Amino acid sequence: MAALFELHSSRSGFPAVSLPLDSGSPDDALVRAAQHGDRSAFGLLYGRYARIVHGILLSRVPHPDVDDLVQDVFLQALPRLHSLREVSKFPGWLAAIARNRATDFHRRAKLHEVLDEESAPAETDQPSPSLRPSAHPAAEARAVLDAIRSLPDAYRETLVLRLVEGMTGPEIAMRTGLTHGSVRVNLHRGIQQLREILGRKASPLTGGGL
Amino acid sequence: MKDDYLWDGSGSPDPEVQRLESLLAQFRHADGPLVLPENLPIALEGAPSFPRSLRKGWAVLWLPRLAAAAVVLLALGVSVFFYLRHTGTLHAGPGWNVANLEGTTQIGSQTISGSLAISKLLVGQTLTTNSSSRASLSEFDLGEIRIDPNSRVRLLQTDSNHKRIQLDVGTIHAYIWAPAGQFVVDTPSATAVDLGCRYTLNVAPDGSGTIRTTLGWVGFHLNGRDSFIPAGAMCSTRPKIGPGTPYFEDASESFRDALHIFDLTEQSTDAGSKALNTVLSQARPRDGLTLWHLLSRTTGAERAQVYARLAALVPPPRGVTRDGILALDPHMLDLYWNTLGLCDISVWRFWEQSSQPHDSSSPQSLSKKQVLLKQAP
Repeated sequence: MAALFELHSSRSGFPAVSLPLDSGSPDDALVRAAQHGDRSAFGLLYGRYARIVHGILLSRVPHPDVDDLVQDVFLQALPRLHSLREVSKFPGWLAAIARNRATDFHRRAKLHEVLDEESAPAETDQPSPSLRPSAHPAAEARAVLDAIRSLPDAYRETLVLRLVEGMTGPEIAMRTGLTHGSVRVNLHRGIQQLREILGRKASPLTGGGL
Repeated sequence: MKDDYLWDGSGSPDPEVQRLESLLAQFRHADGPLVLPENLPIALEGAPSFPRSLRKGWAVLWLPRLAAAAVVLLALGVSVFFYLRHTGTLHAGPGWNVANLEGTTQIGSQTISGSLAISKLLVGQTLTTNSSSRASLSEFDLGEIRIDPNSRVRLLQTDSNHKRIQLDVGTIHAYIWAPAGQFVVDTPSATAVDLGCRYTLNVAPDGSGTIRTTLGWVGFHLNGRDSFIPAGAMCSTRPKIGPGTPYFEDASESFRDALHIFDLTEQSTDAGSKALNTVLSQARPRDGLTLWHLLSRTTGAERAQVYARLAALVPPPRGVTRDGILALDPHMLDLYWNTLGLCDISVWRFWEQSSQPHDSSSPQSLSKKQVLLKQAP
């Protein structure tokens, strides 16, 4: 699309604002610079937070729609950034926008149609998810992802960030604004519930499950 | 513990979690640039979410308008292309973005000026600031490097795993979020390896330099002589000698002066011994940073003296013996360093093993997770 440009390679239309290198955390400095109109800084924030936004969305909406929605979330965040008074709360603020965007997606996009569309192959070729090697890894992966999505919000989000996005617990805490303790509990309980779900779904023939 | 692996990838790998990671990796976020409408103002509430809207039925309304906008922007793009080509700012090949912050900056034979000027520094090119100019280098997966007046920086290498510049003279403020070990700065008297995030590096016209770390930590080395500078500490370096002994900036003035004298004098001289005594007597537990480095920069009785003082301030961990330290046993020195609670030296060791400065082998970047896995039994 000709009307779009890559953020990290352009500052056109905005004054160049140098990052304040001597105050707060690195992210705080980027948020402040972005609030002052530095699109490059916002692009750098995107680089740091795209994974977390992707994970939050993936835990709530169908995979094929996630990339578009990630862009949407940052499109929504940019013009509102000036309203963020405490820059240190940027991680939680952005995560909230992502969660709201997912809710909005379901409200607007006729949830049942979309989910039926995505889950249709499961009825024909989706094997029971298990941790043992499968002849249908793609279908099995979708089934595992669906199982994760069936968990309570806090657990599914944290598990997606850990297992899909490859983030560590401390990273998740830092990027979502959650405490280490909360993330640790979410991971622990989430994986337990996932084991139970996958154990129930596993085929008797494979004797599988976690 | 398996929970440790789930938490941060450390400990014994949990095969179940590993299998899930492997299975689900296909859904992972694919790195790519964020694209924004050029005219989206920051101070506008309620940005439109048109990418999905277009697909969901708004196309009829918006396509004609977008088509018209595309024609205008295409014309604009062509004009900008020819303008950039004319001004020499359009380059092919790997490079970093340059923003002129103040005054006039020189890139090779090209001059950029004005606070909105942007350009690119290509591999092999040199960026020079004069007495009144400042510039900024940035790269999406690297961070930002601000360049003060009277500086000269050359871009030596940039790819997904290696970013290397040469600072001949002047001052840079590096603010790095590339993985530890990826960003390296060569100076006339030492090589600085980013192991954290934020530091200032100055090189004087005579080739000597100082580094001051404000976040994370930095490794400074030359010909096997290493200094580790954590946040709050600084270190100087001199041509042919290499990095001096690092110290925390909040150390007493007499401590810092004595350390400076010790670094400059020959070993086992009266002045050196006197300076060492002052350093040891003034040292606080926090100055274990300095004393640890002095272990390998002293010999004989002086080393024993340093060890005694360090052990009094920071008791050695299990597995570390006096004899081992006096013999500079590498494993024991590393254990002792990690006891200081400053940073994990295995990060540096990993970088050392996987890189040969100035040759073509690949210094591998490393994540904390890799390091922890490497340490796992």
